[in-house]
Amino acid sequence: MKCTMTLCMTLLVFAFGATAAWAQGAGPTDPQIAAIVVTANQVDIDAGKLAKSKAHSPQVKEFAQRMITDHGGVNKSATELVQKLHVTPQPNPTSESLQKGGDENIAKLKTLSGAAFDKAYIDHEVAYHEAVINALDKTLIPSAQNAELKALLVKVRPAFVAHLDMAKQIQAELGKSGA
Amino acid sequence: MPRLPRLTLRGGLLSLAALLLSSSDLAGAADAKPAAQGAVHTVVIENLQFNPAELQVHRGDRIVWVNKDLFPHTATATSHVFDSGSIAANSSWTYVASKAGEYAYGCTFHPTMKAILKVQ
Repeated sequence: MKCTMTLCMTLLVFAFGATAAWAQGAGPTDPQIAAIVVTANQVDIDAGKLAKSKAHSPQVKEFAQRMITDHGGVNKSATELVQKLHVTPQPNPTSESLQKGGDENIAKLKTLSGAAFDKAYIDHEVAYHEAVINALDKTLIPSAQNAELKALLVKVRPAFVAHLDMAKQIQAELGKSGA
Repeated sequence: MPRLPRLTLRGGLLSLAALLLSSSDLAGAADAKPAAQGAVHTVVIENLQFNPAELQVHRGDRIVWVNKDLFPHTATATSHVFDSGSIAANSSWTYVASKAGEYAYGCTFHPTMKAILKVQ
């Protein structure tokens, strides 16, 4: 029974992204969404900074720089918007879990080097971007109340999709080279 | 009888005036030609797409790529006939199409972004 519950929760998380974190089907509030967006971008910037200095393949280094630049641009706009709307980002279970996941990823990556580092970084980037797209579609975009916040979420979605494609492409190439 | 030469003269003057007019028209058209070549086309870069994805222009036209995304992009011909380098968010880059041909181009930062410029 316990196992079944765990499996159910895992499936729920996959099916609804962060929805499982919200009690009784109520979605996150705008201040909570703001914290999720800023954290989601920041953890990918932090991983990118580590990968830019530690990655082995030039292609992975280039991808890491792209994550720093693109997610930095998104966070700049997100920060400007929350200031304009006088919204104070409110930490919540999803933003905390994203932060924890990001910290664990960096701790793991720090123990690796060379091709093993590249593979672990890119594998995590694929999973991370899939999870964020899922959360955007299932939770964040439908829950956002403020029209400008919703518009920003819609605007950043194609970037996450492009990053996922790029990460998958690199993942396939690293696989081919036997890394 | 004396009226005929006057008419002829008048006709001649009219013809001359017409000739002058048409030649000045021609001169005007010649002067206007470089300005007419400078037609301006805009390609908007937004949501990691070039819009329009296919653009047809004439030699001498200007193409302005406007980046409306939140991060930089490039407009880089596969053949490297043109390369914008990094176009920052909310910035633009202008290229004067000098050589005829069909140029596939994309963003070097985001390989999923592809478009084509046709220069006649």
